[in-house]
Amino acid sequence: MKLYVKLAWRNLWRNKRRTILAFSSVFFAMLLALITESFQHGQHDIMIDGAVRMYTGYIQIHGIGYWDERSLEKSIEADSVFISSIENIEHVEVAVPRLENFMLVSSKEITKVGSVVCIDPEKENSMTRLKNKLVAGRYLNDSDNGILISEGLARMLNVSTGDTVVLYGQGIYGVTAATLVPIVGILKFALPDLNNTFMYMSLSYGQELFSMQGKLTTISVMINDPRKLDKVYETIKAIAKGKYEVMRWEDMMPELVQGILLDNVGGRIMIGILYLIIAFGIFGTVMMMTVERTREFGILISIGMRKSVLILVTTIEAIFISFLGAMSGLIASIPIIIYFKRNPIEFTGKLAEASLKFGVEPVLPFSTDVSIFIAQTLVVLAIALFSALYPVNFIRKLHPIKAMRA
Amino acid sequence: MLNQGHGAKVKKLILTLSIVISSTYSQTALEIVKKSEDLHYAKSSYLEMTMTIIKPTWQRKFGMKVWALEPDYVLVYVTEPARDKGTVTLKRKNEIWNWLPTVQKTIKIPPSMMNQSWMGSDFTNDDLVRSSSYVNDYEHKIVGEEKIDNFLCYKIESIPKPEAGIVWGKVISYIAKGSYIHLKTEFYDEENNLVKIFVGSQIKEMDGRLIPAHWEMIPLDKEGNKTIIEYQKIKFNIEVDKSFFSQQNMTRVK
Repeated sequence: MKLYVKLAWRNLWRNKRRTILAFSSVFFAMLLALITESFQHGQHDIMIDGAVRMYTGYIQIHGIGYWDERSLEKSIEADSVFISSIENIEHVEVAVPRLENFMLVSSKEITKVGSVVCIDPEKENSMTRLKNKLVAGRYLNDSDNGILISEGLARMLNVSTGDTVVLYGQGIYGVTAATLVPIVGILKFALPDLNNTFMYMSLSYGQELFSMQGKLTTISVMINDPRKLDKVYETIKAIAKGKYEVMRWEDMMPELVQGILLDNVGGRIMIGILYLIIAFGIFGTVMMMTVERTREFGILISIGMRKSVLILVTTIEAIFISFLGAMSGLIASIPIIIYFKRNPIEFTGKLAEASLKFGVEPVLPFSTDVSIFIAQTLVVLAIALFSALYPVNFIRKLHPIKAMRA
Repeated sequence: MLNQGHGAKVKKLILTLSIVISSTYSQTALEIVKKSEDLHYAKSSYLEMTMTIIKPTWQRKFGMKVWALEPDYVLVYVTEPARDKGTVTLKRKNEIWNWLPTVQKTIKIPPSMMNQSWMGSDFTNDDLVRSSSYVNDYEHKIVGEEKIDNFLCYKIESIPKPEAGIVWGKVISYIAKGSYIHLKTEFYDEENNLVKIFVGSQIKEMDGRLIPAHWEMIPLDKEGNKTIIEYQKIKFNIEVDKSFFSQQNMTRVK
């Protein structure tokens, strides 16, 4: 066996140009497949991250039944031990407490329905980067008695910072919640749904307004690695012990899942076409190389080399080339992918505007997820080795006399 | 010739008579609904009542004074609990206004909130606006008789007129024969599912009329929820005019 391996190795270097040609077809196939996949996964991740960071978070914790009914009676205790135990879970970036309610907001003659979100200002900012959305006024502090109002809503009510608005709605157990509150800042959201309805106030102010001291409706959890979502979800469920409702972003935003699935189908078709091109490239090279060696094979068989041994040697050659090509393609792609992960390509213009509208940064990041590297290596190797079946068949059918005359 | 003319006259007389007789003996559904409405409502009225909102895990009771001038004006003043005392709801035509004493402001309920609950009860803002157009907004038909709390009732099916813009598919009312007390109303959605029922009981004489003093609104899609209204005092045909139902007066009534 050792002899055959040596023979195969020597065969490779007997005609360097031929070997390099075959090697580079595998090498570039690998490079292309990896960069495409890494790009697509990166795109996919940033879409999810952008969408969940905008408001919902990757995971939310509520009182049981809250999501369907949205009633304040399904609220939960603002248990700081529970919250910090969630923040201590590996991969959890932050757990953001919220008290959410609907209220009428009125200024002079105009009344609108708005969504009031009572927040821990610093934690909220670390997740949704709310501060960056301020277009006028200042941000909230922990015990603030003012509100931040979305730009669209402010426009409809014809108010700006310094004005006061009436908030009217219901607190827990049907108590009337009414207050006159100054606007301290205006927030501009790209998404009209948010921009026309959202208002933010400090948690302490909201809890007082709704008679819900020490209570929350929602804990929103942000994680730093989307691939650990299920693991974190299971851990939180275990900590919650059935006392709370725990939901993933897929459960809360099914329409986003569909959008991403659709996007993925496009990506799958692209990568499918790429594989096809790769397969033809490698197969073409192998075929050419084999046919080129017809005379050599004919002589070898005539002087007594068994066909099976010859097949073995050519197969070893194919394995050498495939592995070398795949591995060097893999190694070469790593710095490129890492570079683009750290320095994502930014895009501008209309596309950037559309992207910002959905809360997604206008950048094309790359993913360094290990599973991509494994999957692509396996696919390219499979294509390369499948192509190696051609010489096997070729040799099996070879007629030595005819071959020598070729 | 003369005979012939005489015969025709007799025929006409008999025909007229028979129409008169049949209309006295079997009333139309519209007449029943109208008589019932005349019993329960008046051109103007004053009412003191309590409203109890019952939810699966909590309940809440309001005391209220209500002034009404049919068909367009209603003013509701909340007397208890203390936290909500002084809150006023004013209905003027299709608009609803609220006076919030805690912030000393009046706000108009936006159209998008019309199907939302009024003060957390099982009544919607829309119920408040629409209550008086029951007779005219529907086509009424007697579909049977049924006994409710020992009262033999007409069962009347009311289908909304297309132009009325009503959310219900149909409404079935049970109105007692003879006394015209409206004992029960069933509200069906457009798929013909029973959505909520409104039931009257504890019939008492109030301001000279026999009417139920206890009403329950029971939504069937929300288990454990209901809203109870109990009349303490009613006065029909009071002296009140349109100017009473103004935004200025909302801030002054007691």
